[in-house]
Amino acid sequence: MNKELENNFVELLEKHQNIIHKVCRLYTDNYDAHNDLFQEITIQLWKAYPKFRGDSKFSTWMYRVGLNTAITLYRKSKRRVTTQDFEGVEFKIKADEYDDTEEQQLKTLYKAIHKLNDIEKALVFLYLEDKDYREISETLGISEVNARVKMNRIKTKLKTLLNP
Amino acid sequence: MDGLDILKKSWNKDDPNQRKLSAKDIYPMLHKKSSSIAKTLFYISIAELVFWIIVSFIPYICSDNYKERLDKIYDSEHLFTVMTILSFGITILFIYLLFRSYKAISVTDSAKKLMENIINTRKVIKYYVLYNLIVFGFSLFFGFYYALHNDPETVKNIANFGPTEMTIMYLILFGFSALLILLFWLFYKLIYGLLLKRLNRNYKELEKIDD
Repeated sequence: MNKELENNFVELLEKHQNIIHKVCRLYTDNYDAHNDLFQEITIQLWKAYPKFRGDSKFSTWMYRVGLNTAITLYRKSKRRVTTQDFEGVEFKIKADEYDDTEEQQLKTLYKAIHKLNDIEKALVFLYLEDKDYREISETLGISEVNARVKMNRIKTKLKTLLNP
Repeated sequence: MDGLDILKKSWNKDDPNQRKLSAKDIYPMLHKKSSSIAKTLFYISIAELVFWIIVSFIPYICSDNYKERLDKIYDSEHLFTVMTILSFGITILFIYLLFRSYKAISVTDSAKKLMENIINTRKVIKYYVLYNLIVFGFSLFFGFYYALHNDPETVKNIANFGPTEMTIMYLILFGFSALLILLFWLFYKLIYGLLLKRLNRNYKELEKIDD
């Protein structure tokens, strides 16, 4: 693959990396697993990139590949991004935005979401991304009506998980 | 406000605990090897193709004695050639089907379609293994049959066997062949079962939604 393609890809990925982080946050619950899944999604995106024709938005194309990797292709591997890779890098904690209560609420929410199955997590992801049910049904390969029904059930399930 | 709406509010904000990766971090990732199940499945399939091709064809090339025996069994050069061509043909057909189904796996399809394509690839290799086990089973059966009837040494050894002993011996041989094939089959079930456990579970979940 030529250098220009690689540069374009890296530039786009750097800009839109939050999408992958968001997928990883729903599907993993620890630092190593997050990085491992991030890397696998990046590899899958890079492999598929030459076929990306730009008729859909890069971010849309990205979350589809990201979700497919998390639900279907990802296999926990021995290959881990070691913590050494992150040595000397400062974490961007913005003190002024830090809110303990909100942080706590989100932690509890993520804990509840981690108890959902892979497909339910995918629906949650797409819902949070504000995708309409047509797009959700196309991404997962289920009917629009059933996607809506399932989403309502997930919301109820989450409520039960949060208020047992 | 339900839980998801709380999350939705902060969903698009950068996580303060998440380090933002730079281009320098991303470049090396592109050159790392994928450990996806599609790739693993492909490697296992290739290993199986190679294994069964070796099992099927090496004896023809390496052992004169084996060839002689085969000649005796088939008693016809013509039949032997037909069987070899057929065997090659079937293997090539499976290689073609495997590559075709592997090529159809696309990470940009819908989740369900992607899973179906992976399951199809697994099916191709499953049938290939099944075909080989059947051929293997027949070879064992004919091998034993040949040895018991045509091999002078074996014939001499079992000359004194009465009908009960012969029946027991046939049962043991049959049981041994069946057990060997069963073990092979269980081994494959285990490999693919472990590899595709999560995929199968997710596929069933997707199907359940549309039921």
